[in-house]
Amino acid sequence: MASGKNKNQSSLVLHKVIMVGSGGVGKSALTLQFMYDEFVEDYEPTKADSYRKKVVLDGEDVQIDILDTAGQEDYAAIRDNYFRSGEGFLLVFSITEHESFTATSEFREQILRVKEEEAIPLLLVGNKSDLEDRRQVSAEEATAKASEWGVQYVETSAKTRANVDKVFFDLMREVRKKKMSESKDNGPSGKKKKKHCCVL
Amino acid sequence: MTAIKHALQRDIFTPNDERLLGIVNVCKAGKKKKNCFLGDFYKRQQTWELRDLTEVDAKDASKENPEFDLHFEKVYRWVASSTAEKNSFISCIWKLNQRYLRKKVEFVNVSSQLLEELPKAEESVPSGESQSVAGGDEDALDEYQELSTREEQDIESMMVTCEYAISNAEAFAEKLFKELQVLDGANIQSIMASEKQVNILMQLLDEALGEVDTIEGKLSSYEEMLQSVKEQMDQISQSNRLIQISNTNNGKLLDEIQFLVNYMDLSKGHIRALQEGDLTSPKGIEACINASEALLQCMNVALRPGHDKLMAMNQQQLLFAELRDTFARRLTNHLNNVFVHQFYRSSCLSLPGHDQSSTLSQHTAELTLPKHSPLHRDLLRYAKLMEWLKNTHREKYEGLSRTYVEYMSKLYEREIKEFFEVAKIKMAGTSKDPKGKFGKPTLPRKESALKQETESLHGSSGKLTGSTSSLNKLTVQGSNSRRSQSSSLLDMGNMSASDLDVADRTKFDKIFEQVLSELEPLCLAEQDFISKFFKLQQHLTVPETEDLDGSLPSKKPPQAEHRHSLSSEKDIVRLMMNKIFQSIETELNSLIALGDKIDSFHSLYMLVKMSHHVWTAENVDPASYLSTTLGNVLVTVKRNFDKCISNQIRQMEEFKISKKSKVGILPFVTGFEEFAELAETIFRNAERRGDLDKAYVKLIRAVFMNVEKVANESQKTPRDVVMMENFHHIFSTLSRLKISCLDAERREAKHKYTDHLQSYVINSLGQPLEKLNHFFEGVEARVAQGVREEEVSYQLAFNKQELRKVIKEYPGKEVKKGLDNLYKKVDKHLCEEESLLQVVWHSMQDEFIRQYKHFEDLIGRCYPGSGITMEFTIQDMLEYFSSIAQSH
Repeated sequence: MASGKNKNQSSLVLHKVIMVGSGGVGKSALTLQFMYDEFVEDYEPTKADSYRKKVVLDGEDVQIDILDTAGQEDYAAIRDNYFRSGEGFLLVFSITEHESFTATSEFREQILRVKEEEAIPLLLVGNKSDLEDRRQVSAEEATAKASEWGVQYVETSAKTRANVDKVFFDLMREVRKKKMSESKDNGPSGKKKKKHCCVL
Repeated sequence: MTAIKHALQRDIFTPNDERLLGIVNVCKAGKKKKNCFLGDFYKRQQTWELRDLTEVDAKDASKENPEFDLHFEKVYRWVASSTAEKNSFISCIWKLNQRYLRKKVEFVNVSSQLLEELPKAEESVPSGESQSVAGGDEDALDEYQELSTREEQDIESMMVTCEYAISNAEAFAEKLFKELQVLDGANIQSIMASEKQVNILMQLLDEALGEVDTIEGKLSSYEEMLQSVKEQMDQISQSNRLIQISNTNNGKLLDEIQFLVNYMDLSKGHIRALQEGDLTSPKGIEACINASEALLQCMNVALRPGHDKLMAMNQQQLLFAELRDTFARRLTNHLNNVFVHQFYRSSCLSLPGHDQSSTLSQHTAELTLPKHSPLHRDLLRYAKLMEWLKNTHREKYEGLSRTYVEYMSKLYEREIKEFFEVAKIKMAGTSKDPKGKFGKPTLPRKESALKQETESLHGSSGKLTGSTSSLNKLTVQGSNSRRSQSSSLLDMGNMSASDLDVADRTKFDKIFEQVLSELEPLCLAEQDFISKFFKLQQHLTVPETEDLDGSLPSKKPPQAEHRHSLSSEKDIVRLMMNKIFQSIETELNSLIALGDKIDSFHSLYMLVKMSHHVWTAENVDPASYLSTTLGNVLVTVKRNFDKCISNQIRQMEEFKISKKSKVGILPFVTGFEEFAELAETIFRNAERRGDLDKAYVKLIRAVFMNVEKVANESQKTPRDVVMMENFHHIFSTLSRLKISCLDAERREAKHKYTDHLQSYVINSLGQPLEKLNHFFEGVEARVAQGVREEEVSYQLAFNKQELRKVIKEYPGKEVKKGLDNLYKKVDKHLCEEESLLQVVWHSMQDEFIRQYKHFEDLIGRCYPGSGITMEFTIQDMLEYFSSIAQSH
């Protein structure tokens, strides 16, 4: 029974999602809230951790694989590998820290460079929406940036769970959409077409 | 004394023209002195004539003694109030004696002094007739004698005529003396003249006495007459009393007879009912009940001693006994027939139906037990008669209950067997159904079937509150499990396997619940019926017994005995229940065994369900057959649950990894996850949560132990990887399920995961720069031994030449190749489902850079100014990482 179950589990569609953003913006908090419905107040910098969960995405049973990454990294290139493995990205900043918002551009550029394509499933996430009184990044500013990139901007609160499910599910929908269009385009050919050098 | 004397003179003597000469205050000698002066009123009590006095005895002449005797016709003893008084009285008598009686009276024991007193000649004393106390000189006694008004006038007129009296007393006295002599003479003459009259008076008195005598004679004759009348009256009253006694006796006898007739008489209607009353129709039963009660009352009448000597009584009692026996026989036969008939009738009803269902639609056969409420209702009409039988014919009553138990146990055995047969088929059906059928499209069908089931349950709920409540619970449970099913869909999202298990198990759970909730009202109804029909009281305070006692005051058992009989009656009920339902326990046990065989996880459901039912049953009555039986079965269920746990543990221990493929997540780790997920949905808030928690702790300990055991035995996959991946999985399972009793284990799992991640990274990184690693380890060892850092290069094995040689072996190209290989190896070690590759690789990159920096740092410190650098830069390294990233 158990072995059968394992086979079944692995046969489920798997969407790989990467949490990206500066240190302390709440990537782990969002992940834990989504995974276990819990909010941890204590901050402990993450190195990297992986989570997996079975969910129903628009009636379809899928698995989501979340890679929660370190915000602080001495060398950006270290991220290349997991950026490469990701299918969708939650680009997280804290609305209470403008610097973290600025950093999102660099992260995005690295993702684009590593993935060697532009239509990457990605959501710009402004976390800590519960701390309105400490807001440094206006919704307009973030929305403008998102539309510039052609992505969705969502404000979340890992503490109140506001929009937590939404960002993960919306991202999975993006990922699914992309996967479906790729299989229509007969797989690798489409990928190759998009392959080009990106301007730094 | 003087006052008394004066008063006496005034009140008594003066009116009679008498004079009081002497007075003595006496009381009878020998008697206690009694003062008899009351108020100012005196009455003459008794008089004696002085001439009758013969002797005066003063008792003692010398001593002072107030006693003295006066001898008249008899001797009167007196005691004077004082001696002086006595003496003056005696002297007074003496004087009178001297003067009037010529010393006829004898004076004894009188002091001579008293008698020697010479009497003075007194002329003024008139005749002493009828004077008890006479004589005595008023002058001598110095007593004041009041003059009467006539005397006063006489004296005054005399004084007037003798004006000279004062001047010539002598002449006056002489004159007075002369006058007195004249008066004396006249007096004597008048006395002499009155003698004739006295004689006449005496004569009259004699006549009167004669009259009195005749009257007395008459009176005594009357008295005699009255005496005889009295005797007659006495006789009459005695006979009256006898009549009264016989009257009351008759009354009592009448009461007695009335009592006997009232209480010992059984109406003809009753007799007929007892002899041939219809025992099938309600009316007939009613008549029989009344008749039997009347008979019982007649027979239980408290007879007084002696009643049994009455012939009529004996006959009546014989008649009663005969009636009783006849009726008991009739009743027993009838009820026996009813039992047998009911038994065969329900057999006929159930058998053909069973045949049909067994061949045609076993799967759709209703999982219900036939209700016996009509039978119970029919039989309960005889409850009063059973009570009568119990009180009169214990043996017949017991025989009937034996017959009942015999037939009912057969009936129930068959029904229960069939019922369990259906349950087992349904149960087996759930697991035998091909799994493909249970895909998504068939779900609605199952839902509706489930609904139907619950509806059918509602239909059969009856009126027992216990069963309805459990049914409500079931429907709630049903919706709950449906919800949990859908939520589990949301949670886990794998439709195929585990949902199938869940669906199967939920169905099993429902069947099991239905079995229990069918049995529950059945047992309760039967127990209720038995105690009502056989009059076996289950509770100490039942109003019926009190009524019974009240109507039959003759037989009131003592309280202790009463209670004892109640507890033994409870035992009887239990015994009967045991016999009637003897198959339940075995059937339940075999059902449980089957459920357990189909899927050992069923024991979780059974434990929770059974516990709840036991709990409910015990709340109703902890000593009832149902709760004891369910309690027994619960022990088995708990044992199965424990076995399920220990089986899992054994499977973990027996698990062997294949040597060919990588280990990945061990089956018992996912097995535990599956178990915990299921158990959480089943137990949630169940009474048995504690048992589950204990099982969890046992299981998790076994999981930990066996993961380590497998990790140690693993060949293809490094130990660290097995540990890291499995503990990562355990950690995430425990984090997700939030089992509070396993919180410590959750943290421990996290710890083990990070520890082994670290050691895997470090051990793996030894390889790409193996020789460099060795070299610098040597360097560090020297420094640790106390070699100064700048002097390490003077060591032969660690001089600059050696360093250059080692560094040369790792040109950028080689390093890149080593990293490539490492990445591939890690990828091969790690399993897909735990997706730790990125985590591990991230750590490795970090660690590799850290190592590189460490080497450079050591070169700078131990080989200062040597200008030796590594063959590749950090930038090169980052490019290698990037290219590895791009390569897949």
